[in-house]
Amino acid sequence: MKLANDILLNGALVLIVLAGALLLVRIWRGPSMLDRAVSVDIAAVLIIAGIGVNAAITRTSYYLSIMLVIAFLGFTSSVAIARFIAARDRPGIRPRSGVISLKKDFKKDLMKDQGSKERP
Amino acid sequence: MNWHDVTDLAGSILLFAGAAVCLTGVIGMLRLPDVLTRSHAATNPQTLGMLLIVAGVALRLRSGVDLGTLALVAFFQLLTSAVAAHLVARAAYRTGQVGEVALLRDELASARDRS
Repeated sequence: MKLANDILLNGALVLIVLAGALLLVRIWRGPSMLDRAVSVDIAAVLIIAGIGVNAAITRTSYYLSIMLVIAFLGFTSSVAIARFIAARDRPGIRPRSGVISLKKDFKKDLMKDQGSKERP
Repeated sequence: MNWHDVTDLAGSILLFAGAAVCLTGVIGMLRLPDVLTRSHAATNPQTLGMLLIVAGVALRLRSGVDLGTLALVAFFQLLTSAVAAHLVARAAYRTGQVGEVALLRDELASARDRS
């Protein structure tokens, strides 16, 4: 029984570390900042999962409040990227060829978007 | 084999399943081609994986204060991931990073042209 618990918990740790390593690949070569924003969201979830597995292995509850803080504030980074950085960021590699028609009136859209912010 | 052993084993199985769900979400992040499809893959660890992990930790710890903290973790994660995903998808659409070929119908286009 104890052996099965150890195998499952350590296997969970290995899976989480592997997922974090693969996520770093996506952050490294994500073509736009929005991909990195989504990746950072998943990184927060992976940190929560790692702290949870650690708390389950050692049966301590000291770090659960840190889980709470990360779950509560983890979304602010991606909100900031989506709101303020991604409008300026223009990645060179577009995923499909059909976006060219959208790209043409990108500047018009951006000006409208910033103009609508000044209205109350 | 009393009920402590049973809940411990069930918690371990849930934790392992949650970690596996997180790994599948990250594999989806690597393989899917677009911001919206990657956001779709990211939803899986953010909801199901996190819920499985939290349930597993709750089954292993089994005390009142910890259960309250874990319930708050699940609640806030479910609340905030939707906000972040909505803003990221909106910014992706407005800056033209959505492949129009992959969409059968772009129903937002008329609203975007009108605005």
